Amino acid sequence: MTEIALDLSEDVTVLRRARRQRLQDVAFRTATLFFAVLVLLILGGVAVALIDGAMPAIRAFGVGFVTTEVWNPVTDQFGALAPIYGTLVTAAIAMLVGIPVSFGIALFITEMCPTWLKRPLGIAIELLAGIPSIIYGIWGLFVFAPFMQSTVQPFLIDTVGQLPVLENIFMGPPYGIGVLTAGLILGIMVLPFITSITRDVFETVPPMVRESAYGLGATTWEVVWNVVLPYTRTGVVGGVMLGLGRALGETMAVTFVIGNAHRISSSILAPGTTISASIANEFTEAVGDVYTSALIAMGLILFLITFVVLSAAKIMLIRLQRKAGA
Amino acid sequence: MTTTNFDPTSGRNPAMNPAIAMSPTAGLSEGRTGNRSRAGLAEKISVRNLDFYYDGYRALKDISLPLYDRQVTAFIGPSGCGKSTLLRILNRMYDLYPKQKATGEVLLDGNNILSPKQDLNLLRARVGMVFQKPTPFPMSIYDNIAFGVRLYEKLSKSEMNDRIEYSLRRAALWDEVKDKLRQNGMSLSGGQQQRLCIARAIAVKPSVLLLDEPTSALDPISTAKCEELVDELRSDYCIAIVTHNMQQAARVSNFTAFMYLGELIEFGDTESIFTNPAKEKTSEYITGRFG
Repeated sequence: MTEIALDLSEDVTVLRRARRQRLQDVAFRTATLFFAVLVLLILGGVAVALIDGAMPAIRAFGVGFVTTEVWNPVTDQFGALAPIYGTLVTAAIAMLVGIPVSFGIALFITEMCPTWLKRPLGIAIELLAGIPSIIYGIWGLFVFAPFMQSTVQPFLIDTVGQLPVLENIFMGPPYGIGVLTAGLILGIMVLPFITSITRDVFETVPPMVRESAYGLGATTWEVVWNVVLPYTRTGVVGGVMLGLGRALGETMAVTFVIGNAHRISSSILAPGTTISASIANEFTEAVGDVYTSALIAMGLILFLITFVVLSAAKIMLIRLQRKAGA
Repeated sequence: MTTTNFDPTSGRNPAMNPAIAMSPTAGLSEGRTGNRSRAGLAEKISVRNLDFYYDGYRALKDISLPLYDRQVTAFIGPSGCGKSTLLRILNRMYDLYPKQKATGEVLLDGNNILSPKQDLNLLRARVGMVFQKPTPFPMSIYDNIAFGVRLYEKLSKSEMNDRIEYSLRRAALWDEVKDKLRQNGMSLSGGQQQRLCIARAIAVKPSVLLLDEPTSALDPISTAKCEELVDELRSDYCIAIVTHNMQQAARVSNFTAFMYLGELIEFGDTESIFTNPAKEKTSEYITGRFG
């Protein structure tokens, strides 16, 4: 027995090795903790830098900065309402277009797609996600906007633009570029993100749960709507939020096609601007402290909007879970 | 004796005996397993010369057997012998997947459900299924049961309440959940979840119940409850149960089918199969010598 069971405590090399392993463990733990803290530091640093940079503008305009539409570099009068409005409206249009289409694609791939088509479709979605935004911008300006101008916008103006109430939204000359065009481009851009995440979470539904629903005589639509979607709620909301985050912050493609006009118009066919488009467009020509500071203050607002949207999504999920009683 | 092949002298292989091929069940009744309890039983489902292929691989070979109404038929056999595959043919669940194909005939009340004209959703509403693991939907206990009912019936609120109480009572779950019908079905224990799934299957008023190893993920007490339940439900349904637990098959079933490597080795009333099997392979399996 004694020959088999070594008395480890007596052996010097074993003790040394144990000590070394303990040290390694401590070092590893400290290193990972450092990386984790780094995230908080960066986030805090960005917030502090934004607030610091925005101070001159906040001091000059106060709350009026987010409630006025005037943007006049000549007289140093700045109000961020138009870009805020543009950001929210383009993101809303993008979601309106992107979510249903993404869901449709993801559901087709997971529920109905023949095996031979699954891979090509998946790869195409990933390629779509990999296209740099500048290419969307160029394509938007030279291909999509002219198409909007010659076909889609005149059609909208002639049809829904003639209806009461809706006429305010689809009004005015077809410029081609504008809020709607930017929103649609954004919709195309967020599509691969929402699609790939929702597809992945749809695939996490256990086949047996799916079969149980089919086993009761449910159609594919009933299975998807009543079982698959509730089952994957958290992941789906996560995917949508990722897309929304991208739509809110997207700069290059939007700058190309939105028209960069600092005004709010009721028509989504009219040119407008977004926060990130304004910053990108005007930073190089921003002379004077107040102008620069106003742009940074808009950055801070975008930061806050994103934060609020993400928090709202989290709260919504918690509410849903509580309602479901799980 | 090579027990995996049919013995031509037993008259069990329909391909060898044209007279029996006309009525597969007639041939079975002549076996040594006897036929004491079969008089007056109605054949709810008749499986005839059924073959099944997974992407070209022949998983079921020329299966013929009857499933009687208001009787429990157990399917036993080692893993991979095709028991679950056979069950999944009876509600055409295999249709959800590409490259799976069944040939032959499966008659439900005289209609061939393998026919391409068969409406799958209607078929599945008539043939309920319960799986190896509990599969509650991510919704309340009430909605879990109402889900299937709403697909095919328009019930008033009180009728729906009655139906839900009826199903939960039949599944012996009512007393445990009657005060928390609005709670999520996933918050129940494993055994309760499985009975919820049985209640859900009963609620749509099927005529056949398929149970695919319904107790394999349950503790002994829940298993006992589920077995009692099967015994209860026997009086109203044609039940097919796949099980790895031979005692369970002996306890709950009236008829037993022993399958091996995709073939039906023996079918007969449970008592005969377990006390006096006709085939050596069956006897080896039930005495635990392989599998």
